[in-house]
Parts: sequence; structure tokens; C-alpha cells
Amino acid sequence: MKDTVTSPAVPRAINWNRLQDDKDLEVWNRLTVNFWLPEKVPLSNDVQSWATLTDAEKQLTIRVFTGLTLLDTIQNSVGAPAMMPDAQTPHEESVLTNIAFMEAVHARSYSSIFSTLCSTREVDEAFRWSDENPHLQAKAKAVLETYAAGADPLKRKIASVFLESFLFYSGFYLPMYWSSRAKLTNTADLIRLIIRDEAVHGYYIGYKFQRALERESEERKAELKDYAFSLLFELYDIEARYTEELYDGIGLSEEVKAFLHYNANKALQNLGFEALFPPEAAEVNPAILAALSPDSENHDFFSGSGSSYVIGKAVATEDEDWDF
Amino acid sequence: MLDRLNETLDYHALNAMLNLYDADGNIRFEADRMAARQYFLQHVNQNTVFFHSLTEKLGYLVEEGYYEAEVLAQYEQSFLQKIWDAAFAKKFRFPTFLGAFKYYTSYTLKTRDGKRFLERYEDRVVMVALALARGDEGLAMSFMEEILSGRFQPATPTFLNAGKKSRGELISCFLLRIEDNMESIGRAINSSLQLSKRGGGVALMLTNIREAGAPIKGIENQSSGVIPVMKLLEDSFSYANQLGARQGAGAVYLNAHHPDILKFLDTKRENADEKIRIKTLSLGVVIPDVTFELAKRNEPMYLFSPHDVQKVYGVPFSEISVTEKYEEMVEDKRIRKTKINARAFFQTLAEIQFESGYPYIMFEDTVNQMNPVDGRITMSNLCSEILQVAEASEFNDDLSYSKLGTDISCNLGSLNIAKTMDGPDFGASIETAIRALTAVSEMSAIDSVPSIRRGNDESRAIGLGQMNLHGYLAREHVHYGSDEGVEFTSVYFAAVAYHALRASCAMAREKGMTFKGFEKSKYADGSFFEKYVTRDWLPVSETVTQLFDGITLPTRADWEALKADVMAHGLYNRNLQAVPPTGSISYINNSTSSIHPIVSKIEIRKEGKIGRVYYPAAFMNNENLEYYRDAYEIGPEKLIDTYAAATEHVDQGLSLTLFFPAEATTRDINRAQIYAWKKGIKTIYYVRLRQTALEGTEVQGCVSCTL
Repeated sequence: MKDTVTSPAVPRAINWNRLQDDKDLEVWNRLTVNFWLPEKVPLSNDVQSWATLTDAEKQLTIRVFTGLTLLDTIQNSVGAPAMMPDAQTPHEESVLTNIAFMEAVHARSYSSIFSTLCSTREVDEAFRWSDENPHLQAKAKAVLETYAAGADPLKRKIASVFLESFLFYSGFYLPMYWSSRAKLTNTADLIRLIIRDEAVHGYYIGYKFQRALERESEERKAELKDYAFSLLFELYDIEARYTEELYDGIGLSEEVKAFLHYNANKALQNLGFEALFPPEAAEVNPAILAALSPDSENHDFFSGSGSSYVIGKAVATEDEDWDF
Repeated sequence: MLDRLNETLDYHALNAMLNLYDADGNIRFEADRMAARQYFLQHVNQNTVFFHSLTEKLGYLVEEGYYEAEVLAQYEQSFLQKIWDAAFAKKFRFPTFLGAFKYYTSYTLKTRDGKRFLERYEDRVVMVALALARGDEGLAMSFMEEILSGRFQPATPTFLNAGKKSRGELISCFLLRIEDNMESIGRAINSSLQLSKRGGGVALMLTNIREAGAPIKGIENQSSGVIPVMKLLEDSFSYANQLGARQGAGAVYLNAHHPDILKFLDTKRENADEKIRIKTLSLGVVIPDVTFELAKRNEPMYLFSPHDVQKVYGVPFSEISVTEKYEEMVEDKRIRKTKINARAFFQTLAEIQFESGYPYIMFEDTVNQMNPVDGRITMSNLCSEILQVAEASEFNDDLSYSKLGTDISCNLGSLNIAKTMDGPDFGASIETAIRALTAVSEMSAIDSVPSIRRGNDESRAIGLGQMNLHGYLAREHVHYGSDEGVEFTSVYFAAVAYHALRASCAMAREKGMTFKGFEKSKYADGSFFEKYVTRDWLPVSETVTQLFDGITLPTRADWEALKADVMAHGLYNRNLQAVPPTGSISYINNSTSSIHPIVSKIEIRKEGKIGRVYYPAAFMNNENLEYYRDAYEIGPEKLIDTYAAATEHVDQGLSLTLFFPAEATTRDINRAQIYAWKKGIKTIYYVRLRQTALEGTEVQGCVSCTL
């Protein structure tokens, strides 16, 4: 036997004290303090509220959540891992593993909602629906194509930001809407934890895209921008039809679309591009917009857990602190 | 975008605009007022059952079993007409959307299908006044005056239930002891179910339960400790809710020197195993002074087996002062013990507070030193403001009582500081409030839990609270936590204490009766009054003197006279003051909560029943924003200083929440706890954190997101 087997590349041990990009540590810290598990949220307090929804509303809600589950699954098992080889710093890879893991937690969370609120039959039916829904499948495929091996790393980031900052929101709209109507408020708390994470993910991947773009030629910059807008058009087209299919029944399609415009603009902003939709078209119902902010919410602790607690930084007290 | 105010928007959207700045960076208060108006136009008015006259209304409500006939039967028809006319003549309007929304979703009487409103705000106020006055026309009129003017606001259970035919109890809050035996544990679970069903929060003391691994009947390693008991309680509370109106809620307290203390805290860890995780039960830790001393010297702290302590001392663990007996117990071979690092204990405490906001803390020795009543305080309640003495019960095998002890209940109500300061007669407002709260105690008899009933019958304990301190100070252009702010707090609370005692003494004289155990209290021997007759509690600065302009404050001579009166005639109520956190009622009353600083200029309020709603701080406008710095900006020290000034004059406790930015460390929390303990604070309620959105991820133009 000759010793010519190509030896695997050994990665260098990661040193968090030598940063190439401070943003890596900032985001890593933010993501780790934000760590949470669905068990934290007392979802069972929503059981009574769930019972007040009509059958159609229940079906819509479960479908929306299965759609979200699919997106989280893609991002967990394909999206984040696909971006790892493109990472410019070892720390970026670590951040991506965290993103991948939290996406798995998100996907897991929807199942917690299901097992708490719905029957197995309803859930199975909805998963079947998501497997077969042409619009949902179309948007999954559109994103997956750019994730495929050999694809352009920057295009991958573009698709990833669209997924994190745009595609999720047609689904997020519904729990926010319910909570502004005093329904499923604990479920909304959980979704707000997910939104808190996705906002950071989209921001970070967009940030990395912008740094990479700076190093590209003018020609290439134009190509990528072109690509971003055409992908967004394609996704928006699918998303609009997906929205109509879901929300026409309860008459919310127009409002959801305004919300999509708002988030499409945000996704473009994360990539460093100008807004696509004019402000009038992106006027979100204030009740939904205000509901997105997880900060400083004042709740009564006995019926919910809120979305503002984090894992704190432990620092030992010193003698001077005990000076009394 | 979003700049035009659109009349056609629904009220939720209008209300949410409060949280979004307009193009000039101003807060849109007018959107909220419009939301309140639209709420009435679009929803309330259309869904209110109309009656042609008061007679028709009352006749219908009594006949259909909505109102308690007995309440109305105590009064002449002509008086009823008079009090209703007087109430409606005041032209009450809700100044905020949340106030109106909260009232109509959670308080007002509705038809049985929940679809139509049967009461306006004035109706509710009059019914509460009539019920509490029990036939006394003059008293009914003054209760109505005080409540409708916003000076006095009864706590939720009283305000929600009084006068209704099918209703829960009027009392807010219950505290139960648990002793180290199965009968007591079983009885406690039953009592928790009974009390939750009737509408109160329940706190239980676990300190006396033997630790995990302790022997049972002399056989080692048998006991499972406190965690399984907590699990049972948590499930009991989620089962029993008050006709779906309010989730059952409970808290458990454990002494820091109980061997299960770390397991107890770990139940709130983010990654706790499902088997031991506690989600909705609130936790509190009782910390004696010695724990601080040990941490100061960086020594280990010993945890003592309650089972052995009881065997050695012949009394339950909770009945001995750990501070006093610490060295003795450390040396005693018969008491098995484990040790942990004291500083590490405090750090763990802070870590858990970061993750969950829990546990509450009760500073055991401070509480007992400041307790004017005979007996030992071993626990607090769900909001950490009730601090009263209790007595253990003993049970037969069939769970009947072999010795009936006393447990604690407390009915609460709060004064709106701003309205009380504006009112025509400061002392009279306080006296009226004390009488209203006393009426609740006298009208309550919780037969399902005899120890609670006995405790209430013998003590007539009440808790007069306060709210809107920050709103008042800001309106008067005084900064919360400034020297003037703290001085005001001290003078105000001293005056409240004086009038509360005066009222309770007057009732003792009228009824020829004092609370049980008065003769052994510090009131009876006059020592309680020492600090009031040896120094003044009057304003010093120009600013604060002006605030009290027109209000007669008690002088040392007044206190001397009161001391003599109390020593001669006694007090009717064993406990008088307790400052609760005031959630819901401060929204209805248009106040800032309790004596806390505001949490945000525009508060985001989430509750199961009302969803997410936005609430502007009381008296705030775009011109006086500088006086509305929020709790996170003000920081823990100024908050603690303000509370310390009030604590001095409050016989029970005050719910004190600490606020930190998420960038704080456990050390910051520990330092604030040490400072609070040093300043004589009795209890700490929640620790709350605010995480600022990562730059680039925030919602644009959102009021509550900006610092």
C-alpha cells in the first residue's frame, strides 16, 4: 500500500481571542444568550383559547405552522451547513453551527405547539398538505437550488437572507394577528422567540454577504444585485399565491401582503440593497408591527413566560461587594 | 409611512400606533385617545344592553340572578336612585384605551353568553360601594366618591366580584403553611385547589418539609424532598382556575438553609429536565442575615435537615431563627448538614433570576425585626408584599384538624397617590379606604379552609397599597429617585401610616374590639411609636413642602396623641399596609404601577385575556418626557432608595422589582441585592431584564424599543 491517499485537511483549532471580524463574537454572544427551548413556554395555557377558534381557523393555523416547519428544516439541514464551507473565518463557521442548531429547535417547537393543541389526525393532515402544496414546494425548491453543491456562495447567502428575513413572515403574521386579538398568546410568545432568532440570523448572513460583496468587481456586483432582485421577484410571486391560498378564507390576504412587502424591504436592507416596495405598499397594520418587538413586554408572570429572559453572564462577587 | 391618523382604523391598530413614533418623532397620544373613543363607538356601545330606567335595570339584573338581591335590599329605592344619579353625574371617561379595554374585557358584568355588557363603569363602582357599605348610606356614598374619583381602587377580586350573584371571593391572596407530614401536605393541596377555585393567589411554605434522602420512620433515604410537592402544586394550580377568568396561581417559599435549596432553584433552569421543571409556579427564597455574613467572610454556608432541627428543638425549622441558632446548629452532631459556598449560592440565585426572573427573596431577619406584631413571619405571598404571622395546624389521619392553626389571607386596595394628593381631605381618603378594606375582611369567611377563616376572623388584616408614584412625581416635575422624590415618599408614607392607624384605632373604639394578640404587640406597649414621637417626618426641602401645601401633616404632637389612643383603645386590624405591584387596576385607574418607576414610556402589556395592548404612562405628554425615565435607566439604587423610604412606614411589605439591562451580570444583581438588604428592604419581587435589539434588527420607529 502506498501512502498517497489524500490526507483530509485538518482544521486549525479555533481561537476566539484572535478575531478577524468582531461581528462574529458579537453575534455569537447574542445567539448564545438568546438560547431557549420550547419547554420554557407554557403552551398549555393556550388550550382554552385554541378551542375558541373555528375549524377553518384551526386548519389555517396548523397549515401555517407546517409551512414554517418546512422552512426551518431546510435551513437547519441544508441552508446553514451549505454556507459553512463558504465561511471566511473559523468563527463564522461556529456561528453557523449555532444557527443550524437553533433552526432545529424552531422546527421542534412547532411540533410542541401541535402536540399541545391539536389532534394527531389534524397534524398528519397538515403535514400531508405541506408535502403536496405546490406553492410551498415551489419556494422550497427555489431556495434549495441555490443551496446546491457547486452553487455560487454569494447567491447562497442571498437566498438564505430571503428565507430568514422574508419567507418566514407570511407564516409569522398569523400568530401575531391572533395575539393582537388576545388569542394563542403563549404560542405568540414562542413565535416571538423564533422571530428574535431569525432577525439575528438574517442580519448576520446579510452582513457577511455585504462584506464579501465589497471585494467583488463592479461587474460581479451588478450580477449579484440582478440575481437578488430576480430571485426576490420569483419568490414574491410564489409567496403572493401562497398567501392568497392560505389567507383569502379569513380575508387577510391584503394585510399579509403589505407585511410581505415590509419584510422584503427588510431582507433587501440586510443585503445592503435599496427597498423594492414603496412605503405605501409596505404599510403594515400597526398592531402587527408593534407586536414584533420582543423587548420590554410587561406580562403577568402567572400566565406566561414572556420573551425577554436570557441566559445571563455569571460573574463572581468580590470582597468589595460585601462591604457592609 | 403610517403618519396619517385614520379614523377608519380599528381600535387595536390605533392603540398600536402609540408604540410607533410619527414623522416628527413625537409619541402619538391622540391615536390612543382615538382608540378609546373608537372602542366605545365600534364595540362597547353597540354591545351594551339598554334599560329605560334604573328600576328596570336593577329589577332585571336581580331577577335574572346577576346581582345579589341582598346587597340592594339594604337600601331604600330613593337612595339607590340618588347614588346612581350622583355617580353618572360625574361623567367618568377612560383616558386610555387599555383602561377601557381592560375594564370591559375583565371586570364588567356580561350576559351569560359573554356577548353583551350589562354594566358601565359607574354601575360597577356603585355596586362595589353598596356591597361594602352594608346598608350604611353615608359610607356607601363616600366609597362611591373615593372609587369613582380614582383616589381609591379596590384590588381586582373585590372590584370584579362585589355585588355579583355568582362570584368568587373578594380576597386577593392567601398564604398557607405546610408542615413535615403527609396530612399537612395533602391538606395544603386541597386548600390550594379550594382557594384557587375561589379566586385568590396562594403561597405555600415548604421550609419545614424534610429534604430529599431524609429518613421516614427512621428508615434512611426515603423522603423525596420538596420538588415532587412543587410538581403536585403546580398541576393543582393549572387545574383550578376561576371559571376560566383567571389562571390559578401559586408560589412556594423555601429557606436558603434548607438542604434542597439548589434543586429548588434548578427547577427554573432553561435546560431543566421535564421531570423537575417548574413553569408556572412562582418561587421565593427566605434569606436570613447570617447568609450575608457568611458570604461576606467568603465562608461555606451549612444547610440543615429540617427533620433533625425539629427533633432537636421541638419546633418546626421555620420557627427558629437561623441567624440566631446558626453556630449552635453547626456544632450539633444530631443535625445532619451539608455545605455549599455562600457566594456561589448568591451567584446561582442571580443566574436563575437572569433566566426566569425568579426567585423572590424575603429577608427574614429584617422582616421579623420590623414586625410590630407578636409571632414569627416565615414566608411571603405571590407578590411578596404580604408579611404576617401564622400558626401551624395539626391534623388527624382523616385530614380533619386536631389543632386548628391560623393561616393568612389579605385583601388589598390601593390609593392613587396623585389623586389622593389632589383630593379635598387627605386623612379622610385614607380612613375611607381602611374602612372599605376592613369591610372586605368582615364580609369574608372562607369555610373551605378553616385555618384561613380563623386567621381572618382573629386578625382583620388588610393591606392598603399605593400606586402612581412615578406619574405623580413626573407631573410635578420631580425626578423619580431624586432627593426630593425620596423625601416626598418618606413624608407621604409616614402620613398614610398615621391616618391608617388612626382609622383602625377609631374602629377598635366603635366596635369595642381589637385584633387578637394586640396586647402582646409593639402597639400596645407604645414602642412602635418611638420613632414618630422622637423625630419629625415632615418635609424639609422647598419643593416637597410645596407639594404638601394645603395638606395637614401629622406632627409629633399628633403622633403622641395617637400613641395614647392606640394604647388605650387598641387597633381593629392586625396589619394595615402592604404595597402590591398593581397590574390591572393601575391601568383602569390610569396610574403608573405601584411605587415603581415605569418600565417603558409606552408599556407593552400582554395578558392571556386581552392580548397585546399599549399603555402610555400617566400624565405623560410630548413636553414632559424627561421626567419619564424608565426603570432600566433609573437603575436599582434610586429605586431601592425610594422603596427604603416607604418601607420605613409600612407594617407589611412592598413588591419591589429590580430592573437590569440584559448586558448586566450576576454580580450586578448580587450587588443590588446586598444594597437592598443593607437599606432595610424586606422583600424583592421579580428581577426583570430588557434586551435591546441588535443594531440593524430592531423594528423601525418603535417607542418601546428605543432607549
